[in-house]
Amino acid sequence: MFRFDYMDALAGALLVLLGIAVTWISVANYPLGTASRMGPGMFPAGLGVVLAFLGVILALQSLRRPGPKPDIRIFSPFFVLGGIAAFAALIVPFGLIPAIFAIIVISSLADLRIRPVSLILSCIGLSLLAPFVFVFLLGLQIPLLRWPF
Amino acid sequence: MDLLGSLALGLGVALTLQNLLYCFLGALLGTLVGVIPGLGVLAAISMLFPLTFHLEPTTALIMLAGIWYGTTYGGSTASILLNLPGTPANAVTCLDGYPMAKQGRGGIALFMTTVASFFGASFGIILLTLFTPVIAEYALRFGSAEYFALMLMGLVASSTISEGSAIKGLAAVTMGIIIGLVGMDTQTATIRFTFGNLGLLEGISLIALAMGIFGVAEIIMSIRRVHAADIDPESVKLKAIVPTRDDVGRSWFPMLRGASIGSFFGTLPGTGPSIAAFISYAIEKRVSKSPERFGNGAIEGIMGPESANNAADQTAFIPTLSLGVPGSATMALMLGVLMIHGVAPGPNLISDEPELFWGLIMSFWVGNIILLLLNIPLIGVWVRMLTIPYHLLYPAVLMFICLGAFTSGFSALNIWMVAGFGALGYAMRIFRFPGAPLLLGFVLGPLMEEHFRRAMVLARGDFAVFFERPISAVIMAITGLVLIWGVWSSEHLRAKRGARALEREAARRAAHHPEQEAPDGQN
Repeated sequence: MFRFDYMDALAGALLVLLGIAVTWISVANYPLGTASRMGPGMFPAGLGVVLAFLGVILALQSLRRPGPKPDIRIFSPFFVLGGIAAFAALIVPFGLIPAIFAIIVISSLADLRIRPVSLILSCIGLSLLAPFVFVFLLGLQIPLLRWPF
Repeated sequence: MDLLGSLALGLGVALTLQNLLYCFLGALLGTLVGVIPGLGVLAAISMLFPLTFHLEPTTALIMLAGIWYGTTYGGSTASILLNLPGTPANAVTCLDGYPMAKQGRGGIALFMTTVASFFGASFGIILLTLFTPVIAEYALRFGSAEYFALMLMGLVASSTISEGSAIKGLAAVTMGIIIGLVGMDTQTATIRFTFGNLGLLEGISLIALAMGIFGVAEIIMSIRRVHAADIDPESVKLKAIVPTRDDVGRSWFPMLRGASIGSFFGTLPGTGPSIAAFISYAIEKRVSKSPERFGNGAIEGIMGPESANNAADQTAFIPTLSLGVPGSATMALMLGVLMIHGVAPGPNLISDEPELFWGLIMSFWVGNIILLLLNIPLIGVWVRMLTIPYHLLYPAVLMFICLGAFTSGFSALNIWMVAGFGALGYAMRIFRFPGAPLLLGFVLGPLMEEHFRRAMVLARGDFAVFFERPISAVIMAITGLVLIWGVWSSEHLRAKRGARALEREAARRAAHHPEQEAPDGQN
């Protein structure tokens, strides 16, 4: 346990920053208009103020109470998001099958145990299943394999 | 059109071969998702949504709705047989369902909850059929001020009443609205918050947002926490599924009370099947002549909640279809699906798209009958699904999420957005912010801005318009009360819960027993 709720204090500070940024961008770039003819900047500028206000309340509350220690994992989000990023980077230049292999292999690492046989089997299985559903059954035009060079 | 004619029209739509097929598919997939812990209904709907892109909006909605109410059916199976709630709405079914299974009455429990689910759903559908057109007709008189007030009430209620800090809920809603404003402003064609990225002109993809915040974040949280169930095949062998006369006799009133409670809470913003099920359980225990039986396999303790959560699933459609104001994240997703298919939600929906509205309602009957027939014979299959190890399941789910995002626009940008929202969703879990209000804000944000600006034009810039028009004033007053009550009660409860958590932690430290973590899902 923490003596203060540090996590909420941090969250509140982030909300304040985000709110200020939103209001700043809106006021600087989009016309505010008048109350009877509102421009595109008015509504987001107001929302930014609301968000910053909520952040202040959250941060103030957090100082009055103890808070739990967060349970933060590093590898789970790293490999899951990394796998998605690999899929996004590969699908257009290299096609579907390499993208599937990349996301399955990389995201499987998040489990922190490597099981080569089941990994290979699920790569092959999904490389057959996904094209079957999306390309064959649904008739979508997704290139399966490509060489951009 | 009279009611019977409408129902016949709807039945005709629901019984076409294509709609029947997709209704079946939705119910089947929903049950599957409901059984598997670590895969929420929102993730499932957003994952399967790309499959419905090329369909008619009616068929798409029929299938997605099937997933929604199917999960509640499926969730009860996992609760009873394994003491693992597949969805939060079924958590309370564990309390008496699992003891029944241990006493060898699992088959009866499954059979009876299926009946209760069907009863509750039917009750909800009847109310939906009767009230939606009436409310929609009344709502035709609403102007922009009323709509803005209604949406504000929906957002405030759903963010403050749900579990956790009300301030965080409100912050999530506000962030959702801001994310919803990205792209071209509908009134002045000004491009906002795109930072020069042409792909963002049409705004953030609803699918990418839902899949990231619910699907990806849920997976990150569940890895190495959700384990495949270790099931003794003997324990799920159903010795008897025919209930005794005593069981049937005890079940009538809990079912009826559950259905009424569920129908009520289903329509309100912020409450839904989970809360309805908990309240139903509490009431059954209160009115029972022998409350000591609860927790030891009392059949009333599963019939009430299962009837309540299914009724709530159905009545949640009332505000969504009659007003175009969804009360929960799932309903917001349904509304988003309608809008993506080019159907304008609101009170005109029933008269503009009678086939869609009545077809959808009649498909609920079809779907519930399918589920009634499906659930019992397939129990063996569902239980086997639970033994699929999570480390095989989650990479495949991720792959389908990415592929789904890609096919909803054929650009890699959507997949990057999934990754971005996955990171945001994970950060929100760590900071304990609720995800559902963000999705609601995202869907309603642009509509709110439009109504707000239009109301201000009509009132010549006078903010008092929201408090001078009688309907709008009443809604605003309710919103204010909900806001004050929500903030007060969440702080009050949190103080109590915080004290309890401290006690528990102290006890745990003393005993050195690692506490098992429950998988965390959401509606």
